[in-house]
Amino acid sequence: MSGSWMTTRAWLLMLPLLVVMVSVIGWPLVDTVRLSFTDAKLVGTEGNFVGFDNYAKMLSGSNFQRTLVTTTWFAVISVAAEMVLGVLAALLLNQQFRGRTLLRALMILPWALPTVVNATLWRLIYNPEYGALNAALTQIGLLDAYRSWLGEPNTALAALIVADCWKNFPLVALIALAALQAVPRDITAASMVDGAGPLARFRFVILPYLVGPLLVALVLRTIEAFKVFDIIWVMTRGGPANSTRTLSILVYQEAFSFQRAGSGASLALIVTLLVTVLAVAYAALVRKAAGSTA
Amino acid sequence: MSALEIQNIRKNYGAVETLKGIDISLQSGEFLVLLGSSGCGKSTLLNIIAGLAEATSGDIRIGDRSILGVHPKDRDIAMVFQSYALYPNLSVRRNIGFGLEMRKVPVAERDKAVQEAARLLQIEALLDRKPSQLSGGQRQRVAIGRALVRKPQVFLFDEPLSNLDAKLRLEMRTELKRLHQMLRTTVVYVTHDQIEAMTLATRIAVMKDGRIEQLGTPEEIYNRPATLYVAGFVGAPPMNILDVTVRNGLLEIAGSDVTIPLPPRYATIGDGTRLSLGIRPEALRLAAEGAVGLTLPAKVEVVELTGPELIATARIGGQKLIACLAPRTRLGEGESRRFAFEEEALHLFDPTTGLACEGAP
Repeated sequence: MSGSWMTTRAWLLMLPLLVVMVSVIGWPLVDTVRLSFTDAKLVGTEGNFVGFDNYAKMLSGSNFQRTLVTTTWFAVISVAAEMVLGVLAALLLNQQFRGRTLLRALMILPWALPTVVNATLWRLIYNPEYGALNAALTQIGLLDAYRSWLGEPNTALAALIVADCWKNFPLVALIALAALQAVPRDITAASMVDGAGPLARFRFVILPYLVGPLLVALVLRTIEAFKVFDIIWVMTRGGPANSTRTLSILVYQEAFSFQRAGSGASLALIVTLLVTVLAVAYAALVRKAAGSTA
Repeated sequence: MSALEIQNIRKNYGAVETLKGIDISLQSGEFLVLLGSSGCGKSTLLNIIAGLAEATSGDIRIGDRSILGVHPKDRDIAMVFQSYALYPNLSVRRNIGFGLEMRKVPVAERDKAVQEAARLLQIEALLDRKPSQLSGGQRQRVAIGRALVRKPQVFLFDEPLSNLDAKLRLEMRTELKRLHQMLRTTVVYVTHDQIEAMTLATRIAVMKDGRIEQLGTPEEIYNRPATLYVAGFVGAPPMNILDVTVRNGLLEIAGSDVTIPLPPRYATIGDGTRLSLGIRPEALRLAAEGAVGLTLPAKVEVVELTGPELIATARIGGQKLIACLAPRTRLGEGESRRFAFEEEALHLFDPTTGLACEGAP
């Protein structure tokens, strides 16, 4: 069978998928790029060509800069906490103890819950009148009076980060647990005979096996955290006083609440570009880590 | 005082008894090989000595102290694993020196010890490489180096040559022998390879089902097997075992009318006793025409030339008889020939207990 026929056949087999991808991703993307250079509104007008005005306005606006800072805080803190919690949970679940299988199954639950359910659950926990958190903290004497955790600008973002961590650390734990189970038993035994304590064993023996898989988890979670929308929309809608407004919320507000399709599109493309840069940087890191443990 | 004393060690996994009371006393500088097939408990025993598994009962002493309950790092042992167990992200230098680094040995002293071990093992040029950049044989040398630098009282080897190809295995075997002759350290070595056991050991413990079948020098194990299992396990091809019955001072081969005289050392065995007769394939030779002495007539079925020897598989009264002959022996398949042997090469076992029959000295 000739090489050219093989190539043609491959393209023919791929064609249905290509058609779907072009129509649901390619065309909207091209149209978003077109829109971003216009002053189009969501309804009514097609808009006029305005060049890079939308980009300039968005990048120089205080809204964008403040939101970028909020998003970065949210992504960095929640992903870092998820990594630490995930690895600790994996180390615990990798030990031999009674009920380990049950605990492993239970740990997956938060991650398996739909984000909207998780967000609603945490809104109930944080409720300023009958929330479990307020009740628990006042009963053990850490709090004098009930607080509105999601209603105060200085606690809302932290409260959201906790909810996001609770949902997503199981994914990191699962990935880390799989990596831990791949650590050869002989190497752990050798390190014990060599006199490595728990910390040295983690650093020299276990961590090298965790780095690669954890980098993959880091890439996935950072990109997701940077694009976060649903949990925040359900819990705070970006408030109070825009203290929890992330880039995706800003894009939504610009395009749909204020109906400015042109500037909304330019903002969406800026977010896409930022996420792409992150993804490329992380991919390079993963390749480097994979190379060093090969 | 023994260098290593294993006293009545038992190990249970639930209802399964993996080790059923092991007793071994090892003098300083001895090379003990634990030999047995998979599942016989040899690796479990090694792991108990290392502290990687706990004994259900019994005691292990290194020098004058009991080490049961002592952490592996404090037992004054070093272990070489089948999979090498090198730390993949550390250089060869740090791998070898890892045990010393963990024990906070000063850098200069550590470097000196690493250099010395590397020189002994001829891996000085590899010190800055990572394990992934080494061949199997080089990795095994690094693993041995890591054990050597610690200068422990007892070295433990868990099938260290199993992952190497045949040629490299032979090289490393010689290397290990050379190292032991040079360092005179106490070694416990686990293997299922009888050639490794025979060539390396000063004593061999043949294990089966969690028990020691026989503990002795390689010469004793080979020439005076204590049980049918040892007789069949040690030697390649294994010892021929033929069913025989004692009749009027003769041994009658079952399924045939062939008889051979009962050796005088077994004269006390009663008439009519059913026994297993053992004779090593390499103890057989082709009898010359009209030769006198002990011979067994058999019909040759298969002849295999391995290079250094000719292996003939023959039948005598429906029972298999294998002979290892000189490579230039002229022998054809289907021929009926007589195989000669010396009386000392003949072993008798009780087929019910599997134990060797007591012969007069």
